[in-house]
Amino acid sequence: MTRLYLSNDTSARAAGAERLAQAWAHAPGVELVRTSSRGAFFLEPLVERDGPDGRPDSRIVWPNVKAEDLPNILAGIGGTPIGRIAFLAEQQRVTFANFGITGPLSLDDYRAHGGWQGLERARSLSPEAVIDELKTSKLRGRGGAAFPVWTKWQVAKDAAADQKYVVANADEGDAGTYCDRMIMEGEPFRLIEGMLICAKAIGATRGFIYCRQEYPAAARTLREAIAAAEQAGWLTHERERFHLEVFVGAGSYVCGEETALLESLEGRRGVVRAKPPYPALSGLYGKPTIVSNVLTFATVPSILARGGRWHASLGTEGSRGTMALQVGGRVKQPGLVEIPFGATLAEVIERFGGGMASGARFKAVQVGGPLGSLFPASRLDIPICYDAFSQAGAILGHGGIVVYDDETDMVELARHFMAFTADESCGKCTPCRIGSVRSREILEQLQSGHSRPGDLDLLADLSETMKAASLCALGQRAPYPVLTAIEHFGSEFRK
Amino acid sequence: MSRQSLAAVLARHRTKPPNILQALLEIQGALGAVSVRAVPEIAKALDVTEADVAGVLSYYPELRPAQPGRHLIRVCLGESCMANHGAKVLARVRAHLKIEVGETTRDGRFTLAPIYCVGNCAVGPSLMVDGDVIGRVNPDQVPALLDSYT
Ligand SMILES: Cc1cc2nc3c(=O)[nH]c(=O)nc-3n(C[C@H](O)[C@H](O)[C@H](O)COP(=O)(O)O)c2cc1C
Ligand code: FES
Repeated sequence: MTRLYLSNDTSARAAGAERLAQAWAHAPGVELVRTSSRGAFFLEPLVERDGPDGRPDSRIVWPNVKAEDLPNILAGIGGTPIGRIAFLAEQQRVTFANFGITGPLSLDDYRAHGGWQGLERARSLSPEAVIDELKTSKLRGRGGAAFPVWTKWQVAKDAAADQKYVVANADEGDAGTYCDRMIMEGEPFRLIEGMLICAKAIGATRGFIYCRQEYPAAARTLREAIAAAEQAGWLTHERERFHLEVFVGAGSYVCGEETALLESLEGRRGVVRAKPPYPALSGLYGKPTIVSNVLTFATVPSILARGGRWHASLGTEGSRGTMALQVGGRVKQPGLVEIPFGATLAEVIERFGGGMASGARFKAVQVGGPLGSLFPASRLDIPICYDAFSQAGAILGHGGIVVYDDETDMVELARHFMAFTADESCGKCTPCRIGSVRSREILEQLQSGHSRPGDLDLLADLSETMKAASLCALGQRAPYPVLTAIEHFGSEFRK
Repeated sequence: MSRQSLAAVLARHRTKPPNILQALLEIQGALGAVSVRAVPEIAKALDVTEADVAGVLSYYPELRPAQPGRHLIRVCLGESCMANHGAKVLARVRAHLKIEVGETTRDGRFTLAPIYCVGNCAVGPSLMVDGDVIGRVNPDQVPALLDSYT
């Protein structure tokens, strides 16, 4: 029997892994093992075999495989040692270290590759000591706002309440991002472990994973993982059981905002609540609640296992640790890149993205999703870290990097952004509700050649009002992609 | 909408406090849609006001008041798919099915809807047909792809 590894991740399947699995299901001499994905999606479907010493880092891989390649793979013809795939070899994987190697729902695999060590350490410490470890680590939230994680945990821990909650924000609404999806589908136990550590630190006994409905495979995998972890006893500690459930959303972007998410979790319209009070004090059903991003929770286990100081030794002054960047759009090598903070945008696009896809010419790159900014070729020297981005008036958001080619019509893109905001605005505050509709109309008029003099000034005015007076970051930041498009590609708007 | 099964789904939902969104998602899962006409019965069963139920029903894009076609085609309009010229995919789908976004074909076979990212950005442009993600869609493949669904 020859063991072949093939990813079961949604994107690997969409790239053809499922077709291979079907074609080879009854192939003699083949044992097919489904794994998470390496995240080198430009190589999917990627087939792997054990290398000479059987270690995961010596596997031999075949990229972009077709069903008829099987005889060659079995004969060992044409494969590449995994260590020679530069896209992967040059990364510094921590949270995604096991991706492509382990079976998503195998508790044995998870244990054998370092799983639960963070939780075991946390359970041997006092809640205060767990929070101290996070303080030392300087971990900031990966969901967009980059808030120090330990301060939220401290507030929730210190609050006296009969019930506290831990909520994973798995709404992953920023288009161009998929690292949360990869975690939920590929190593769901890591998310569960992070949530259990948080529960231990703040004294919570209930948790929810709010998963967007666009991710059916993630929700399914999570439910199976929770059942498996529960059965293996991981959800119960000192006879206290942590109740963990998956809640699937219903297609609203603003429900990724933490207070709208809590409204939605309670079953109501996903409308933003005014802050304060912050969820750490008054969240789900008015109880102390930690809402954190999936990637944030998934980063916690290694901090507990390896120590906060180790985490703080990676990255830059204000941004410690590694960041999962999701490089996409018109690059040659789209995929997941986990590296310490600090590399420039140009380096990431060139070294990992492999430059532009064949035949395409660079026009702009958008970082931070629908609320992020566009950067032209002249601004790619910016280091990827929270401080440099905030100084530039931009955000790193959830790590989405989308490259546009020179066929992209900037006016149409700007209109598209504002139409999205107008659709997704929850309607609670006027600047966002009205401002986004009016801005979209101005861009539509511009597009149809019916703009009036002063329209762009009006757009700028509306944007300033939205930025200053909106209740949440949707209205506050939605003007940025539009304004940066006008700033860098103004001539297209003044035709 | 069969009253029998609406009642059956609602019977599972006598939880306190009631969760309107979850109840509506379950009804839609069982019956395909949540008819506006069912609002009074749902409100009564959950012990909330009709305005509460109607408000939630109208808020979420994925809650549908009418039965969709046999297949739900969702074309990704997220940034990464836009960068990969997914707009051309959408144009081909519209042309081939002769419907606009939000509409259902006259034979009831397809409903066309937009979707903002299915997390398949690295293998885009993306389509989601029912629950399946299809990647690296070339506009020229669209007619054959759609014709493969009956
Ligand atoms: C419009 C809007 C959408 C958001 N969407 C998400 C999302 O999809 N996922 C996420 O983790 N955070 C999202 N956030 C940020 C959350 O409000 C919150 O800051 C985050 O979940 C906190 O987790 P963290 O501390 O781990 O970053 C969004 C914020 C806004 C204003
Ligand atoms: S933008 Fe289309 S799948 Fe992410």
